[in-house]
Amino acid sequence: MSTEKKARPSAVQVLILVLFISYMLIPIIATYVFSVATRWDRTILPEGYSLKGYQIAAQNPYFFKTLQNSLVLSLASVVVSLLVVVPTVYWVHARVYAAKPLLDLLMILPFGIPGVVLALALVQVFNFQPIARSPFLLIAATVVFTMPFMYRSVSNNLAAIDITTLTEAAQSLGANTFNVLLRVIIPNIFTGILSGSLLVFATVFAEFTLARLIVGAGFKTFPMLLVEYTRIDGTIAAGLSVISFTIAWIVSLLILWVSSKSLDKSHEHLSAR
Amino acid sequence: MAYLELTNVSKNFGSVVAVKDFNLAIEKGQLVSFLGPSGCGKTTTLRMIAGFEIPDAGTIMLDNQDISNVAPNQRGIGMVFQSYALFPNMTILDNVKFGLKMQRKPKQEAHQMAEKVLELVRLKNTAKRYPHQLSGGQQQRVALARALAIQPRVLLLDEPLSALDAEVRVALRGEIRRIQSDLGITTVYVTHDQEEALSISDLVVVMNNGIIDQVGTPQQIYRKPDTRFVATFIGTANEFAGEISDAKHVRCGNLEIVTPNASGFNAGEKVVVLVRPENVEVFAQKPESKTSNVIEGVVDTITFHGAITRLGISIGERVINADVNVAGREMLAYHQKVWVELRPEYCQVMAED
Repeated sequence: MSTEKKARPSAVQVLILVLFISYMLIPIIATYVFSVATRWDRTILPEGYSLKGYQIAAQNPYFFKTLQNSLVLSLASVVVSLLVVVPTVYWVHARVYAAKPLLDLLMILPFGIPGVVLALALVQVFNFQPIARSPFLLIAATVVFTMPFMYRSVSNNLAAIDITTLTEAAQSLGANTFNVLLRVIIPNIFTGILSGSLLVFATVFAEFTLARLIVGAGFKTFPMLLVEYTRIDGTIAAGLSVISFTIAWIVSLLILWVSSKSLDKSHEHLSAR
Repeated sequence: MAYLELTNVSKNFGSVVAVKDFNLAIEKGQLVSFLGPSGCGKTTTLRMIAGFEIPDAGTIMLDNQDISNVAPNQRGIGMVFQSYALFPNMTILDNVKFGLKMQRKPKQEAHQMAEKVLELVRLKNTAKRYPHQLSGGQQQRVALARALAIQPRVLLLDEPLSALDAEVRVALRGEIRRIQSDLGITTVYVTHDQEEALSISDLVVVMNNGIIDQVGTPQQIYRKPDTRFVATFIGTANEFAGEISDAKHVRCGNLEIVTPNASGFNAGEKVVVLVRPENVEVFAQKPESKTSNVIEGVVDTITFHGAITRLGISIGERVINADVNVAGREMLAYHQKVWVELRPEYCQVMAED
């Protein structure tokens, strides 16, 4: 326990903090409230509340289908990203460290290319069956699009541990590459992998442009449904947004819970001293 | 054939020669140190024995088996790193058990073995802790236990004490030597600390610029250095540059040094005479001496080292270091006029290279 006295934050600091939190939270709270409001354009607070928006949304024949599609797409992207990015980053750190600046540079590209451009280019290049306009092409695109998130998280974690020496230590103890990765490297970069997965999942779950342009109506995702409703009924669209937020939060909490579980294990030993 | 034998081993990194024509035979149960300044090739040689580097030329034989191209995880060689390299995600016990798990040892057996080696390094009570909860010295003892658990054919230690405090360093090197000789395990120890190498080794290999300068027991390395580099890298030495007069005399400026060690050189050859500070005798009055190795000087510095006191005595332009004991210290003062004598039998003569 810290015994140092912490300086009280000044009024300016408090003000900045309040402004920041308001900036982040007000739109979200407003969306939540709007999704259960009956009418909210003539008064400060809604005139009444009902769950009708949710009811109508859930009755849409595409509701569960799009939810399922988005979950599958997000999970698949996370899995592919893990399989492609994690070993690559590891090898770059462990063996070809000279290539790291190049990879760092490449990982900025997805930020520099607008989703529309990426989607249209992919559709033109991969215009043969069975890839053309398939969910597989979409998964490939979302993996590329979200690669910087996974790369950064894992790379920062790898930089924090001495992987060369840990790898060599494990090798001298008889471990092959598979065991080195599974038992030594991955457990030590687990938090990076988790936060990378979380970012990829959340980004892909809310992704609209790539999905709309690459697969279109053939593989309708949740954000597509949401966009459709923004043209029909704002309340329902807000309801769908709330569902989207909530899923992202549940996934985050789930991941945080899993990671705190693995941290707890070491804390148990700490207190057992 | 020796137990571990390196023959004509060479390694380059690009255009940089890291190790050149390295030849060494290590007998079973010996502790051999590779000693030299950083960049001398000692760690590269160790890493070639471990399998982390592949030699460009030459062979490494272990127990009559050519291991030059065997993968590191197939060599059965234990290694201890300067940075400890314990697995942060595992308890101490799991760290030690790791190698046994890789060998697919039965659980019960692995557990007993891990406890045994932890006991050996006196850390059995830390089994359930994590590496970050231990001090540096403790972590390195765990690393040693982890390497020993797999009963390696050879134990390699790469500057294992460099990251530790002076006190821990001295205690732990004694412990390493004790365990090593108890187990009779063939060990290669890399260090840049000459005191460390001299104090624990059966054999010291002094390296410089990728080649071996001298191989010998610690006594040989200290008392009879083969090269000027060895003489100056190990301990402190006073150097006198000069040329050979005859088999018993070396002329260094206006000083004629008498030494029985000048044979083997030709008259006129440029040489360097080296005398260690403990072999320089200091007198308050001019001594009666049969040799001309007596020089007059003035006490310039007095540095207390505990058991001995080191004097810096200026003689003209240069300063000679001399070690004296307590009695010697008491008769001396700053700026006092003294006479020093270089004991002839301890004057080492070597070619000026």
